[in-house]
Amino acid sequence: MVARKSSRKSKARKAAKKTSKSKARKKSPESNKAMRLTFSYEGKNVKLLSQQRIEMIVPSSDVLKGYGQKGFWAELKSERDKTLYRTVLHNPTKNDAEVFPETPGGEISRQPAPKRKGVFVVVVPDTAKGEEVILRRSAPETKGPMKGIRALASKPAEEILRFKLKK
Amino acid sequence: MGTSDGQVLGATRIVEAGPPEKRWNVAIVSEGYRSDEMAQFATDAQQFADVLLATAPFDRLRAAINIYRIDVTSTDSGAKDPKKCQGGTGAKPRTYFDASFCSNGIRRLLIGNNGRVLKVVSKLVPQWHMAFLAVNSPISGGSGGSVATFSKATGAIEIAIHEMGHTAFGLADEYEYYSGCATDKGHDKHSKSEPSQPNITTNKNRATVKWRSLIQAATPVPTTSNANCKNCDPQPSPVAVGTVGLFEGADYFHCGVYRPEFDCRMRNINRPFCGVCQQVIVNKLTPFLP
Repeated sequence: MVARKSSRKSKARKAAKKTSKSKARKKSPESNKAMRLTFSYEGKNVKLLSQQRIEMIVPSSDVLKGYGQKGFWAELKSERDKTLYRTVLHNPTKNDAEVFPETPGGEISRQPAPKRKGVFVVVVPDTAKGEEVILRRSAPETKGPMKGIRALASKPAEEILRFKLKK
Repeated sequence: MGTSDGQVLGATRIVEAGPPEKRWNVAIVSEGYRSDEMAQFATDAQQFADVLLATAPFDRLRAAINIYRIDVTSTDSGAKDPKKCQGGTGAKPRTYFDASFCSNGIRRLLIGNNGRVLKVVSKLVPQWHMAFLAVNSPISGGSGGSVATFSKATGAIEIAIHEMGHTAFGLADEYEYYSGCATDKGHDKHSKSEPSQPNITTNKNRATVKWRSLIQAATPVPTTSNANCKNCDPQPSPVAVGTVGLFEGADYFHCGVYRPEFDCRMRNINRPFCGVCQQVIVNKLTPFLP
């Protein structure tokens, strides 16, 4: 009888341990840590300005598999180059601009703005496994009416920047 | 010029959902408000918060969202409005973030010093996720990017929420033209490359398209096709409002690329976000719910 009770207790402890492990997996202490990455851009050049560690939650990752070929995105990579987190960006290095109508109900349109420059921010989870961040961007067309306009780039995205996260 | 033309007063949480390290944090920064106009900024920021939280799906995500008002005074009221753009008044007010219309020669392109804005926001609300610059001017204008900038013109808040769709959620533009349906050249056919954004696709296959789970079996796929790719498709929607399918024309092209609903905030600033965009926003913000 005593042996049976002890066995029940042991099973309960194991179950509790399992639940707590699974909870820990779902929401590890690391899930509240983030790295804010600030970049500058001018023309086609993109430069990392700063890495800031912050206690905050990061929005859910975009899909890691079966995503599109063209566009702009950032990926958090493991030591073995496995993608751990991915965030799709509406190309933040555009050289054109969205122009809104004077009156409500009018058409939005776009106009080239070749001298645009500035900063943009990417936030990734700050995890023990995260080693590097890469940025991928589609290159613009080299001829025709869409020449040089990054918003209209249709080629598969290529790596434009890779760097190690500070530890 | 710049930071000598005003003062950072501080941040006030105007919508409270919980500790900032566990919530999605929005910051609204004032530009071109004199110190005697800060009460007006408080009213304007609250109006922005009210509109945002009444917009689907943010109305269902209130428990996940903190909104901060960041009070920054300027020496003068308004924003620069250079005469080199048609209609420009030539006004040169001295403001903290140097916001100006006519950026890149485009009258309604209103941009401030975004690096300076982000520096102020990061100092006062380190856990910020989305920053807005509210410019105290009645002239229509705004811009997207790392800081969504908007004026006080009618419909400006709707513009800012469209820009947030890009900046915070990676949503693509769903309109099917570039400079305008009547003036476009070279925007007939989209390339076959699949876009990475979640709300546009070149994939016509019902079984594999990104938003397949939202397409009803009775909805035809594609739902609309453009008969003349030289122009925008003039046909009205053949299905009820809110029906998710594949509607040809998006991402600045008339053909070869599809949007999920006939209309959406990412196509027309006066419309609600479509079902797919709403799902993307909800998925992104779910970790911030208590």
